Amino acid sequence: MTLWSSLRSWLSATLRRSRMESEMDAELRFHMETFAEDLVRGGVSREEAARRARMEFGGIERVKEEGREARGVNFLDQMAQDFHCGQRVLRKSPSFAIVAVLTLALGIGATTAIFSVVDAVLLRPLAMEEPSRIMFLQEHWQDIFPGLSVGNFVDLRSQGTSFSELCASNNASFNLETGGLPERVDGEIATANYFATFGIAPLAGRVFTPEEDKPGQAAVVVISERLWRTQLHADLSIVGRPIRINGLPTTVVGIMPKNFDPLLGNSELWIPERFTQAQLADHDNHYLNVMGRLKAGVREAQAQSELDVLAKRLQQEYPIDNQDRAFRLQPITAALLGDQRLGLRLMLAAVGFLLLIACANIANLQLARSRVRQKEIAMRAALGASPNRIVRQLLAENVVLGLAGGVVGVFLAYWAVAWIIAHGPAEMPRLDQSRVDGSTLAFACVTALLSSFLFGLAPALRSASTRLNEIFKSSSGISGGSRDSLRSLLVVGEVALALILMAGAGLLIRSALLVSHVDPGFDTSNVMVGRVGLPDPGYHDPSVARHTFERMIVAAAALPGVESVAVVSRAPLAGGGSSNGLLAEGKAFDASNLVNSELQIVSPGYLSTARVPLKAGRDFTAQDTREGTLVTVVNETLARTMWPGANPIGKRFACCEAGPKGRMDPVWHEVVGVVADVRAWGLDRQVQPEFYIPIAQMPPSAWDWIGRTMDLVVRTKGGQIPVRELQSSVASIAPAVPIYRLSTMKQKISGTLERSHFDTFLLAIFAATALLLSSVGIYGVLSYMVAQRTRDIGIRMALGASQRQIVLDVLGFGVRLAAIGLAIGLTVALVATRVLSSMLFGIRPTDVITFTAVSVLLLGVALVASYLPARRATRVDPVVALRYD
Amino acid sequence: MDKQLELLQGTLDMLILKAVSLGPLHGYGVLLRIQQVSKDRLEILQGSLYPALYRLELQGWIASEWGESENKRKAKYYRLTTAGKRRLQTETENWNSMADVIAGILGTKPEEV
Repeated sequence: MTLWSSLRSWLSATLRRSRMESEMDAELRFHMETFAEDLVRGGVSREEAARRARMEFGGIERVKEEGREARGVNFLDQMAQDFHCGQRVLRKSPSFAIVAVLTLALGIGATTAIFSVVDAVLLRPLAMEEPSRIMFLQEHWQDIFPGLSVGNFVDLRSQGTSFSELCASNNASFNLETGGLPERVDGEIATANYFATFGIAPLAGRVFTPEEDKPGQAAVVVISERLWRTQLHADLSIVGRPIRINGLPTTVVGIMPKNFDPLLGNSELWIPERFTQAQLADHDNHYLNVMGRLKAGVREAQAQSELDVLAKRLQQEYPIDNQDRAFRLQPITAALLGDQRLGLRLMLAAVGFLLLIACANIANLQLARSRVRQKEIAMRAALGASPNRIVRQLLAENVVLGLAGGVVGVFLAYWAVAWIIAHGPAEMPRLDQSRVDGSTLAFACVTALLSSFLFGLAPALRSASTRLNEIFKSSSGISGGSRDSLRSLLVVGEVALALILMAGAGLLIRSALLVSHVDPGFDTSNVMVGRVGLPDPGYHDPSVARHTFERMIVAAAALPGVESVAVVSRAPLAGGGSSNGLLAEGKAFDASNLVNSELQIVSPGYLSTARVPLKAGRDFTAQDTREGTLVTVVNETLARTMWPGANPIGKRFACCEAGPKGRMDPVWHEVVGVVADVRAWGLDRQVQPEFYIPIAQMPPSAWDWIGRTMDLVVRTKGGQIPVRELQSSVASIAPAVPIYRLSTMKQKISGTLERSHFDTFLLAIFAATALLLSSVGIYGVLSYMVAQRTRDIGIRMALGASQRQIVLDVLGFGVRLAAIGLAIGLTVALVATRVLSSMLFGIRPTDVITFTAVSVLLLGVALVASYLPARRATRVDPVVALRYD
Repeated sequence: MDKQLELLQGTLDMLILKAVSLGPLHGYGVLLRIQQVSKDRLEILQGSLYPALYRLELQGWIASEWGESENKRKAKYYRLTTAGKRRLQTETENWNSMADVIAGILGTKPEEV
């Protein structure tokens, strides 16, 4: 509104001005022509009359200018004048203008680009109705936050009163056939009220009914707009028709609108949960995502305290499954985007620093120029410009700079955002929605204006306050002390900011280097991994599923160039997995004695194929079947946790299933081997206790836990990886079953490090730019100082000072500035880098090596930046310098 | 023709007000009237008339509107406003008393001191 009204007043002022101009023209022309006519009537020739009319009237442009002034020029006109003047001044010193605009564009561009990412990922509301009222529920047990068990979910839904809707879903992926090759797509299995909870209606068709969410109903699916567009040709008639999901014809009942993906998991389709009676009674499997919409008037804290009460009730009702189990409530935005906050805020702070450094540099340049321009400004003041007007004019010049920098910066940001989307971490939700849009442009504009005031105000005030007589009196010579101290202060600030950025970047770089030297625990070279999910309908029988995988292993192992093949329920770095509470033999059956450990179901050749070093005991063999003793191999961490100081071979623990006598009847697994720790969740993650059981001994229900999905691990002889052959051999054994997420182990490792490498890379770029800019700052101040003190230096040299002394003096000054900045920066950085703690691996945020390295680097660069002006100082010829006036 | 007198600073405004008080005039007309009344004894820079006119108009002492001139052309006519009338009166009084004082001072003879 204010924008509009000021635009309108500017417009009317412009119109009024142009009307005034034409009226003034007409009036003056009338005057001269009438005068000329009178002269002609008096007998003068026409040409002579016109000439005399012009002459006696006086300079017409000056009259017009005075006329305009007399009419009272309004504030906007003056501003336009100031801008015009600013532009002219800048055009006259193009090298300054270019350096300033580019410096500023760098700062504004980086800030704007990061802001548009932050805006897309964090700030934009999630695509749902009133996202602030939607809560994400998890169980809280020991230190982990698993999903809810179905039993707990239905109990909360029937007993809780805080939520108007409480829904659940679990992530799954599906084999989808829409004509061409089968594809694996991600989706969710959701309760019927899932869509109502988020308050989003379908784009076409409908969502499923509560009736359809019961076992035994016809198969239905709701699909995403993206799936509809990319796979189904955006054909609306698909609603009501079947597509094949996991080999079964499933009727599409609805299409959700674009961007509907409430859990940000790239869900392409949703099918109903259809909890069976057995599932509804199950309190032991904790895997559901639960989301609730708070009733009007209910606050988060109230809902949490109700959940605490319900948790107590459930603990008493189901002591085995729910012992010590509580619920955690979080706003959905925090739950889904909380992980992104730290990194992005860090980036925003970093670019903010960069912008400040850029501003300090321009302020410095302006201060240097204002010294040179003193006479121009004094002349203006002498001609009657008020100090107010001079400040306004100088500020206008800076605003012109700021806006020019902003425009170039936006182009830079445009490019940078495209780059970030292309190279940014895939796991960052909504990153692809980043763009330079209205809010980003507004941000860039405000940033540009703020920065132009920031770097322009001090020099402008300073120029306007200089007393005239001083300037005309002193033509050159000794520079004013206070002026230099302000410039030095700016440089000190720049150096301090640069050091903070460098310390942050240095820590991340060092941490990344340490991570790259971490032993993953197995041989990652020449290993290919791909996932195969067998659909439930065709492969429900555990022995069918197992034989299918065993046949795949045989088929793949026969491929040329393949050394060995195995399957594992979750290959290292493949994400996901399932954890189990293990009870060591001899311990009381109590939840506090359980050791939470990751389960891996493997084919006998897995440990040798992945080359996980065997530390003790033996590997699995084909003879380890359910007819024999149930055996297990544990990693060193589990062995250490469960039997500290003892030999684990031959020891037993209970887990995973119940014996024939019911839930309290333990099923024992005997440890036959110990293997090295594998960094299964990423090189930079803590190793978890982990145990392996052979595929031939897995409990039949485990097929449901792992969704009949296994990772095929292929070790090649080092040559070409037979991707095509691998795909066709899988397809020949299980038709319409795709092998997906196929990549080498090395790619998977770099995939898990993508995010931290991206953060490190960006921060390193920002730090390098900051270092460059602040060294330019040091260089600028010293060059200026040397130029100002030419005469002093000349005198000193004439009095016998050696070149070495002069160099040391200038160097000393530069290094002193850098050292003060360094000291301030170090002090702040030692505290500030604490926020990095969670992003660092193997070092503390106050790592001495990093801090020393960045300090030395900074001082080195400062020394180089100071050396150039210092050398120039030695070239001063005393004779010339003394004659300088 | 007698030698032309240079206009005293600040008096142009007063002369313009007086000129238009005798009836609406365009800018050129103001010049002609002042020259006519002063019998060409005042030197007026033609161009300086207009900034003065605009200034007086901005202050509300004269008002302008477009009309037709004697030679059938569009011209801008200025007339005195009520505020202008008051202003002219005070200026005239000020000028007269100032002139008296100055004349008195300049006419002083040695024996009167």
